[in-house]
Amino acid sequence: MATTAPVLLIIEDDAETRRFLRATLRAHDFVVVEATTAREGLAQLAGRNPDLVLLDLGLPDAEGMTVVAAVRATHPTPLIVVSARGREQDKVAALDLGADDYLTKPFGVQELLARIRAALRRVAVAPGTLAEPVFQARGVTVDLLRREVRRGSAPIHLTPTEYKLLTALIHQAGRVVTHRQLLRTVWGPNAVEHPHYLRVYMAQLRHKLEWDPTRPRLLTTEPGVGYRLQPGE
Amino acid sequence: MRIALPTNRLLPPPEPLPLARQYRAALLWVAAAAALLLPVRGWLNTIDVAMVFLLAVVAVAVQSSRGPAIGASILAIVAFDVLFVPPYYRLAVEDGDFLLTFLVMLIVALLMSQLGTRVRAQATEAGLLEQESRIRFELNEDFAAAETPAAVLDLLAARIGALLGSAGRFVAAPAREDGPAHPAWPDDGIFADPEVRMAASLSWQDQSPVGPGTARGAEVGALLLPVSIEGRPEGVLAFAMPAGRIPSARELRLARAMLAQGCDALAKASALEAREQGRLEVAAEQLRTALLSSLSHDLRTPLANIEGAASTLVADDARLSAEVRGELAEGILVESRRMHHLVANLLDMVRVESGTLAVHREWQPLEEALGVAYLRVEERLGDREVTLALPKDLPLVSIDELLVEQVFINLLENAIRHTPAHSPITITAWTEAAEVVVEVADRGPGVPPGASEQVFEKFVRVGSAPPFGTPHGAGLGLTICRGIVTAHGGRIWVEPRPGGGAAFRFTLPLAGSPPRPAREAPE
Repeated sequence: MATTAPVLLIIEDDAETRRFLRATLRAHDFVVVEATTAREGLAQLAGRNPDLVLLDLGLPDAEGMTVVAAVRATHPTPLIVVSARGREQDKVAALDLGADDYLTKPFGVQELLARIRAALRRVAVAPGTLAEPVFQARGVTVDLLRREVRRGSAPIHLTPTEYKLLTALIHQAGRVVTHRQLLRTVWGPNAVEHPHYLRVYMAQLRHKLEWDPTRPRLLTTEPGVGYRLQPGE
Repeated sequence: MRIALPTNRLLPPPEPLPLARQYRAALLWVAAAAALLLPVRGWLNTIDVAMVFLLAVVAVAVQSSRGPAIGASILAIVAFDVLFVPPYYRLAVEDGDFLLTFLVMLIVALLMSQLGTRVRAQATEAGLLEQESRIRFELNEDFAAAETPAAVLDLLAARIGALLGSAGRFVAAPAREDGPAHPAWPDDGIFADPEVRMAASLSWQDQSPVGPGTARGAEVGALLLPVSIEGRPEGVLAFAMPAGRIPSARELRLARAMLAQGCDALAKASALEAREQGRLEVAAEQLRTALLSSLSHDLRTPLANIEGAASTLVADDARLSAEVRGELAEGILVESRRMHHLVANLLDMVRVESGTLAVHREWQPLEEALGVAYLRVEERLGDREVTLALPKDLPLVSIDELLVEQVFINLLENAIRHTPAHSPITITAWTEAAEVVVEVADRGPGVPPGASEQVFEKFVRVGSAPPFGTPHGAGLGLTICRGIVTAHGGRIWVEPRPGGGAAFRFTLPLAGSPPRPAREAPE
């Protein structure tokens, strides 16, 4: 397969942020397209058909959620939203509207690249399926066909709900999944009123899978937003 | 402030007995004296008999007006003459001996009647005064509890309203040096009536009551009392007066006395409010000054370092080695993180201080918030041993995860900053009564004696210059902790740790518990 560099569309009004993103992303072999307003961004989205959109939620000419909805209405392109600290409800709303991930300003290069790669990886795999029937990360192995879970070589017994929660996160590995999305997937639409179910089961899952459940490495917390299953060794 | 209203209406003065009843009493007393004496008249001389009748006359006279007193005297002398002076059953008018007895009896009756009337009048007056002074005394006591001018005005309007039997209301009029003659009164309620507005203006200008019962405005549908603070007109108290209702002179006198009391209390409350305002302004000014000095120092230092390193990199004409360039870039990164941290703290501080801290509570295990906090400070922990020892059966707590995380982060950072590089930190928690107690304990030098309250004050950095090679914080971390814990209904304090070090503890109240998801068997 010919290696064409992925095209990233950056919709961001701050010139210095664009400069930093442009320099960094070009250095990592991405093609960067820039837009300074929501209107321009949506035009570029239609015209350039980028592989991924990086959207600042604080644009001057449009409400962040409106832009997320507008992008999602027309394009399945991976979408990462960027916002300031303390605006967790905005991030959750954007994610629930279909954004793929988020970054909190200020962020480092490693974090930025990790998010972009995880989002691009998602489209490389058909939605809802996994490339491999066996998922492996940080010492935990999950055989999705046999429904077997191991930590190291030791088999781990999970309750049906714990297993459902784990696989819901495996299907979105590397991406943040909001509380609401997990509650809906694992417990059904009526459970979104009981977010502590999720927290209780997450704690149980960590006690079974993490070496130190208080300092989780596999099942990490995105404060105020949701959880993320960290792929990799 | 709602006030339980006592029945403040003045009781009417006691009515004197009706005349008919007074005459009947005169008749009864004399008849009783006669009936008492009749069976033993053979053994008594006339002086004794006269004395008993005199007693009856006095008894009547002290509680009657003049007419019944005279009546009792005549009746007594006739009964005396007819029944007790031989020959019996005949009025011996010609017998001049008893004319003197009759005269004495009459004079005593008249004197007693007059005396009795005066005593009764005095008692009534005393009773009325007592009632009024009780009302005024109670008012004063309640004013002492009213802390703001608005509370004083509410109380005054309610109390005078209770006296007049009409709901009262204070209407403010801006005091203007050379403004229009008529203040801009509202036009709702009783002020919809232009006559009431006119009367209010009159009362406001002349600083005197206007309305029914007063010298002016007898036909107006409201009584208006002027309110002033130390002679400066503030507005009027308005009491609706239905047609035909005219406050009595007593009610008006008492209302004016209460008004004067109210104006005094108002002046005191205003002065107090002004002082409090002044104190707050001074505190705010001190905060601003401290904030500015903190900002200028704590933000300028990293900013200067960033600018220096960045300008060196920009001006680089290939003379810098890769190693030096890397070092400069590293410096920029470290310093921007430091600035970011400071700005975040300042913003948190403003949120905590301004009272706009919104707590979004959700039931959750404390472990999660602690875990996130730990990962946030992990880099700065170095090779310090941190023990996170929350018991597994700790109940869920209803907290705002982001805020409680911040408490953990600030306490951990505080420990990192104030303890030697390799000293351990232990975080534990337990339930105690109806709360969860969380402890972040270190093995540093501990908090100096007497400073355990002070460390939670803003911009306070206890201890000398950077103790362990770490830069000073802005002195806000623990203040933010206190703000957050308080917003959760908990307490935070520090105590010496047995064996050395400081133990910061905070509580989170346990109120109720959420529905637990159903238990299930392993698959």
